[in-house]
Amino acid sequence: MASDPLRTKLCDMLGIEFPVIAFTHCKDVAVSVINSGGFAVLGEAMHTPDDIASDIKWIRDRIDGKPFGIDLVLPASVPPADSLEQLEAKIPETHRGFAQEIKEKYNVPDPKGAIDLHTWGGLNQQMARAQLEVLLDERVPVIASGLGNPGFFLETAHERGIKVFGLVGKARQAKRQLDAGVDAVIAQGYDAAGHTGAVGTFSIVPEIAAMAGDTPIIAAGGVTTGRHLAAALCLGASGVWSGTLWLASRESDIDMIIKERLLASTVEDTSYGKSISGMTMRVLTCPWTKEWAKPEAPHALPPPYQMLLSANYIQGANDNRREDLMTEAAGQGVGFVTSMKPARQILFDLVEEALAAFEERVGELA
Amino acid sequence: MNQSKGEASDARPGFDTSVAGKQAECDGGHAIPGTRYAGRQEFTGTLTGEYVDHGEPVWRWYLLARLTRKPEGYPGDSVWCESGNLFILEEGSG
Repeated sequence: MASDPLRTKLCDMLGIEFPVIAFTHCKDVAVSVINSGGFAVLGEAMHTPDDIASDIKWIRDRIDGKPFGIDLVLPASVPPADSLEQLEAKIPETHRGFAQEIKEKYNVPDPKGAIDLHTWGGLNQQMARAQLEVLLDERVPVIASGLGNPGFFLETAHERGIKVFGLVGKARQAKRQLDAGVDAVIAQGYDAAGHTGAVGTFSIVPEIAAMAGDTPIIAAGGVTTGRHLAAALCLGASGVWSGTLWLASRESDIDMIIKERLLASTVEDTSYGKSISGMTMRVLTCPWTKEWAKPEAPHALPPPYQMLLSANYIQGANDNRREDLMTEAAGQGVGFVTSMKPARQILFDLVEEALAAFEERVGELA
Repeated sequence: MNQSKGEASDARPGFDTSVAGKQAECDGGHAIPGTRYAGRQEFTGTLTGEYVDHGEPVWRWYLLARLTRKPEGYPGDSVWCESGNLFILEEGSG
């Protein structure tokens, strides 16, 4: 066995100690993981360009020149651009009625303020472009594209010394991005939180690793233990991308109620469906997802209509901290997230478990 | 045309005869407004040849119309697809 099975080409490329990437929306988590020898990518898709610039400075001030990444969700297709009023007017009465039934059945409170969905203006290229300009101007070490193909800005990024990672859910998306010259591909399996493809992590990682040559492949989806890390490396990945693992960390800024739900959740407590947004995504099961999964429920509407229906429920639940109603994106690995630890400890435990798993196998083979 | 390109001031429309009439699939999707989430959507249809280029470096989007596959309930018959997420299936009649 190599002296350090966790030393991969991803470590060499990024200058990091452990091949673990924390995907997080929390700057404190990112800084903790980076300063502990891992790598972190901060999700900034919903932030304004000014906020992104501010967050980059905040992180840089705390990591002593170490590398970090920023994730954007570049659109890959664009829906019709009606006004909010036009969109709401198109929601069928059956669906409005079903949402109202849920509201009454579970006594879902009204949101306390304006619904975020109604006040955020960007679902278009202009917003994504403005966000991207900040990352290019700031020369962030890594730009990760959480959905769309980053090929169009690769040359510009590389000229500025920026590495570009692309997250994919299908092999053909990976091939397209590899041909374009991305620096790493994140192969995301069905087990993952949020928007996932239909292929499981155990299938998509080796398929993409086989076509990647020297380009590092990063496994995503269901990675919450050191055994997952060890398995991902054996599948051909050079590292792992994990999100759910960090949500319940000490530093994480999500609501404590959600943290407690994550810690109590098993692998069976996530739902994969369209009830939240009209697009398939994996979240913690909640009354809203349960009701829309029933046979008598109407089919979920396409985006953005289903989001307009769910936004009232989600924000009402969050604003009023209703534990029985709240939800959050979570992957199937959530069942292994059982205690609230500092991010640094989570990283070290992951590494120790992975090394132990390798030692165990080698011991059996000896 | 029912779709918008986001009304960007630097959008430059054009027509690409080399793809017009070709069947294509789009591995689409976008961020979900007001949330930290995103979603994927898949479409199959015919490229009209119309495109729009955004800014520098150029970000090209093609119009995929006469959709034969689209998400359930998708209200339109066309979608703008980012060129890097578009997969041409066959030669069309042009």
